[in-house]
Amino acid sequence: MASSLAARRLLSRAAAARRLALPLASIAPRRFSADAGPPPPSQTLPPPPPQPVAETPRSEGAGASSSSSTATGAGGAHRSSPGAAAGARRQGRGAGYEEEQEKVLCASLLHVPRMGWSESAMVAGARDVGISPAIVGAFPRKEAALVEFFMDDCLQQLMDRVDAGEGEQLKNLKLSERLSKLVRMRLEMQAPYISKWPQALSIQSQPANVSTSLKQRAVLVDEIWHAAGDVGSDIDWYVKRTVLGGIYSTSEVYMLTDNSPDFRDTWTFVNRRIKDALDFQKTFQEAAYLAEAVGAGMGGTVQGVLNRVFQNRGS
Amino acid sequence: MALRASRRLASCSSHRRLLLPSQAQASCNPTVAAASAFLHSHATSFGYKQVREEEKSRLVGNVFSSVASSYDLMNDLMSVGLHRLWKDRLVSKLNPFPGMKHLDVAGGTGDVAFRVLERVKSVGHRAMQGTLTDTEEDTHIYVCDINPNMLNVGKKRATERGYNDEHCLSWIQGDAEALSFEDESMDGYTIAFGIRNVTHIEKALSEAYRVLKRGGRFLCLELSHVDVPVFKQIYDVYSFSVVPTMGELVAGDRQSYQYLVESIRRFPNQEKFAQMIQEAGFERVEYENLVGGVVAIHSGLKL
Repeated sequence: MASSLAARRLLSRAAAARRLALPLASIAPRRFSADAGPPPPSQTLPPPPPQPVAETPRSEGAGASSSSSTATGAGGAHRSSPGAAAGARRQGRGAGYEEEQEKVLCASLLHVPRMGWSESAMVAGARDVGISPAIVGAFPRKEAALVEFFMDDCLQQLMDRVDAGEGEQLKNLKLSERLSKLVRMRLEMQAPYISKWPQALSIQSQPANVSTSLKQRAVLVDEIWHAAGDVGSDIDWYVKRTVLGGIYSTSEVYMLTDNSPDFRDTWTFVNRRIKDALDFQKTFQEAAYLAEAVGAGMGGTVQGVLNRVFQNRGS
Repeated sequence: MALRASRRLASCSSHRRLLLPSQAQASCNPTVAAASAFLHSHATSFGYKQVREEEKSRLVGNVFSSVASSYDLMNDLMSVGLHRLWKDRLVSKLNPFPGMKHLDVAGGTGDVAFRVLERVKSVGHRAMQGTLTDTEEDTHIYVCDINPNMLNVGKKRATERGYNDEHCLSWIQGDAEALSFEDESMDGYTIAFGIRNVTHIEKALSEAYRVLKRGGRFLCLELSHVDVPVFKQIYDVYSFSVVPTMGELVAGDRQSYQYLVESIRRFPNQEKFAQMIQEAGFERVEYENLVGGVVAIHSGLKL
C-alpha cells in the first residue's frame, strides 16, 4: 500500500524533473541524417508541444540543408566560413551536395539486401546514379549515413501514408488498435531489409551514431502518438513516449527472429504489448511491484554484505 | 653524390645571386631599380627569396633532383616517422574503392599510391560477395611527378614491394599546372607535400578540378601553420635550426632543406588555402589539422 504510493510519487517527481531540465525548443526538423551534431547531454526526448501541432514541418529539403550546413564535423575538421556562403550560392546553380547525397543513398538502398549496410552498397548506388563513387568518402560516418537516411525515409513514408488516406481509417479504431496499426505500418517497411537489419541496429548503437539514432526514434515515437490522436501535454506525455519507444524497440528485435509468414507473430506481439501498456493501472502496479522488488533486493544485498563483514570480524 | 649535389646547388645559389640585386644597389642604380621592378611583377617566392616565375620550377627541380635518393630517409627523420601516419590518414579520408581511377600528383616516391593500392586490394577481397569483383580490374593509379629522379626512386620501390606485374600503377612525368590527363577522368586526386612547390597554386587547383569526375574528391596533405602558442615556438626552433642541420648531415644538402622550411612558412595558412580551393570550384571544402597544425589535410568535392 505505502510502497505503491511511494512508487507513484517517485514517477511523478522524475517526470517533473525531466520537464524542468529540458529547454523549450521548437519541434526538431525531420532530417537528422548527414552531419547531425552531438545533442546537449540532458536532452533525451523533445519537450511536449504547448498545443497539439496541426502542421508538422513538411519541407524536408529545407530542413535538411539548414541542419546539415550549420553543423560542424567532429574532431579537428573545419569548414571555411566565407566558403559556406559561396557554397550556398553554388548549390543554387545545379544539384547541390545534399541532393546528390540523397540520390546516392536512395539508390544504395536497393543494394542493401545483398551487400548489407556497407560502403560497397553505397559505391554501387553511386554508380547507379552516375556519379563518381569517390563521393562516398565525403559522407560523414558512412554506413551510419545510409541507415539514418533509411530511418528518415521510412518516417516520411509513414507520415505521407497517414496524411494521404489511411489516417481516416485510423479514426474508427480505438487507441490501442491505432497504435498497433501505426507500429505495424512502420515495421513492415523494414521487412525487405530484415536479413541485414541486425547490422543496421549494431551500426545505430555505435557510440558515434547512438545520439542521432535515439533522436530519430524519439521523433518517430512522437509522430506515431500524434498520428494516433494524442492531445495530452501533461505528465503522461513522457510516459507515453517512453513506453511506446520501448515497445517499438522490443518489437523490432522480436521481428529479427520471427519466421512466421508475413511476420504474423510480430503483430500479435505488438498488439499484446500495447494493450498491456495502455492498461495504466496494471502498469503502475507492475512498477510498484518492481520498485518493491528492487528495494528488497538491494536492501538484502547491502544487509548481506554487512552481515558477512561483521561475521568475519567477529570470527 | 653529395659533392655533385652541393656543387649543383652552389651554382644554383650563385645564379640566384645574379638575379637578385641587393637592396643597396637598387636604391642608387636606376637600371637595377628597373630590373627589380620587372622582377616584382612576375616574381614568386622560392623560400624566403624572390625569384622569377620561370626560374622557380627549375630551382625546385634542382632541389628535388638532389634530395630524391635520400628523400624517404629525410622524411622519416624530420617528421620522426609521423609522415607515415599522416599519409595513412590521407588515404583513409580518401576512402578508395575497387575500380577507382586515382591520380597522385607530386607523389614521386609512391608513398600515397602504394597505400591506395593496398587499400583497394583489401577492399576488393572483402567485397567478394558483392558484384564489385568485375570492376576491380579497372582500378588504376597514376603517379605524376615533374621530376624523373623521384619517379625512378618510386619505380624502384615498387619493384622491391613486388608491384612489378601490377597493371594498376602508372608512373607519368608531368607538371601539376598542366596535366596530361583528360577532363573528368579521375575519381580521386591527391597531392601530398607537393603543392607548396608549385609556382601557380591556382592553376594546379583548377587542373585538379578539370581532371576530376563529378563526385570526385580532391585531397591535399601539406605542412601548414601552427597557431598553438607554446608549440609554435618549439616548432619554429625545430624547423629553422634542427632540420637544415639534419639535411646537411644526412643528405649533405643544407640549402635544400632551408628552402623546404622557408617554403612552409610562405605557403598560405589553412583558411586561406581552403578559400583558394573553394575558388577553384570545389564544394564541401574542409580541412583537418594534424599535430596542432604542423600538417593539414584539405579536402574538396567536385559536383
